[in-house]
Amino acid sequence: MHTAHRRRRHRLNRLSLGGWIAMILLVILSALILVPIICTFLYSFFPTSEIKAWLGQRNNYDATRWMDVIYSPAQFSLRQYYTILIENPTYLQYFCNSVMYAAAILLGQAMIIPLTAYALSRFTFRGRDVIFFFILVLMILPFQVTMAPSVMVLRWLGLMNTIWAVILPMCFSPFYIFLLRQFMVSIPNELLEAGMVDGVGPFRGFIHVILPVCRPILGAAAALSFADCWNMVEQPLVYLANASSLQPLSTMFNQISTEGAEVAFAGSALYILPTLMIYLYFQEDIVAGIQLSELK
Amino acid sequence: MFHKKKIVWLLLLPGMAGLILFYVAPFIGGIYYSLLDGTFQNNFVGLDNYRRVMQNSMFQLGLKNTWELSILCAPVIWLLSFLLAAMLKMLKERSTAFRNILLLPYLMPSSAMLLIWLTMFDYGGVINRLVVALGLERVVWLDGVALRVPVVLLYIWKNLGFSVVLFASALSAVHPSLYEYASLEGAGWFTQAFRITLPQILPTAFLVFVLSWVNAFKIFKEVYFISGAYPSDAIYTLQHFMNNKYAKLDYQDVTSAAYIFAVGVMALFALMYASKAVRSPDKA
Repeated sequence: MHTAHRRRRHRLNRLSLGGWIAMILLVILSALILVPIICTFLYSFFPTSEIKAWLGQRNNYDATRWMDVIYSPAQFSLRQYYTILIENPTYLQYFCNSVMYAAAILLGQAMIIPLTAYALSRFTFRGRDVIFFFILVLMILPFQVTMAPSVMVLRWLGLMNTIWAVILPMCFSPFYIFLLRQFMVSIPNELLEAGMVDGVGPFRGFIHVILPVCRPILGAAAALSFADCWNMVEQPLVYLANASSLQPLSTMFNQISTEGAEVAFAGSALYILPTLMIYLYFQEDIVAGIQLSELK
Repeated sequence: MFHKKKIVWLLLLPGMAGLILFYVAPFIGGIYYSLLDGTFQNNFVGLDNYRRVMQNSMFQLGLKNTWELSILCAPVIWLLSFLLAAMLKMLKERSTAFRNILLLPYLMPSSAMLLIWLTMFDYGGVINRLVVALGLERVVWLDGVALRVPVVLLYIWKNLGFSVVLFASALSAVHPSLYEYASLEGAGWFTQAFRITLPQILPTAFLVFVLSWVNAFKIFKEVYFISGAYPSDAIYTLQHFMNNKYAKLDYQDVTSAAYIFAVGVMALFALMYASKAVRSPDKA
């Protein structure tokens, strides 16, 4: 009996032939997916002269010539980082703008979104389903649909070309209300009811019962929202059209990297780094969060 | 669950106020605005703006490209993510690392990847080396219709993992005994994948298809990074039309184009609701 059980477990852990093929294909694909990221970090440690020479080989339509495949620097160098961090502050200025937007938006979302999701998930009231339906619709609409009217609202509020034009609308992002609501709906009622017996009201129930249970989804939402802010393009392009010094890195990066192509890889590497760290820390939560975004 | 507590309106107030001010009011106000002529008097012109936008050749080009790019991206992402999720399932507990690598680009800024992407697709770049190694002619990737390839690949690179995660979670819910029975009957991997797995996860499959389609409309970002606000005709999307009209202060055209676009997205959204009905026919 015992050996049979062990043999069975052994079989479960072993891969079939198909499993090995799948493994090999996945290893290849994972490598392909990681290549651009790894190359970016690798090239960021090349001397600027080498990168400049290499990038200079681009756009050559002579069919007998190739760009070199470079994988090892003549000498390891931190020159690129030195240039963008110390010598030329342009990059750092936009990097700081991006940090500021991400921090402000996440803070605003933290104050508004869990509370709204709580109201939409743990209360019954008239009109709740209508509100939820509208949130779904808003979530799925591309930004451009409400772009021009939003500009008029922001102009009326006197916010155009200020940082608030980017920050305030993002604080109410319908997707994260939806995501948190999906999670809160699935919290068993017994948890809150136990609290209600002890005389806990709706607000303390939120702080002491619901929020602690929501830790994983809050992590996922924060990570995804950070990536959103870090990569946002459409909003700053439109809302900050006449305020280029307020632009985040996401819209300015191309321009900076064309002007100083020899240090662009260090710029990319630093730009990727925060999202990479956040991903490594929150990856399990993010996966669970994405699974929740399925409509249920 | 709290019933009919007045405090809920207090909890809802901040969120609703913001949503109405920044999302709902612009959406509804925009409909009204798209019916005016945009001059000093703001005369009511009915559907004239829509008619003019529909006849605009750049709008037609943008609509055609957005449609073609999305119909290129959505099926590719759908099929690839299904196959990948099926492969992940075969690896059982070893699959986590692969799944996490697949999802990694989803959080990466595409603009940071741009330079490396351009060097790879350069006329003398790595991709063309592969093309030649396969015995074919070099391709000018960064111009004309071929430019769609790097754009679509950048989009797929970034968005594939999201669909894989959705598929993988649906696959893990399929009962293992079905496969055991099928193997006993001698069904191979492909037969199992398309005869057991796919029917079992049909609702999720449908959802992923619609989601990847709706999201493919957002490919503007990748195009904007690769070729800026005025790309070549092959990749000029609807969003370019709207952004450029906006830059020229033609607000009427922007909003009219936007609502034509919105109707299309809404139609897909209705499909998604239909998929919800497919999944739980008893509740719908």
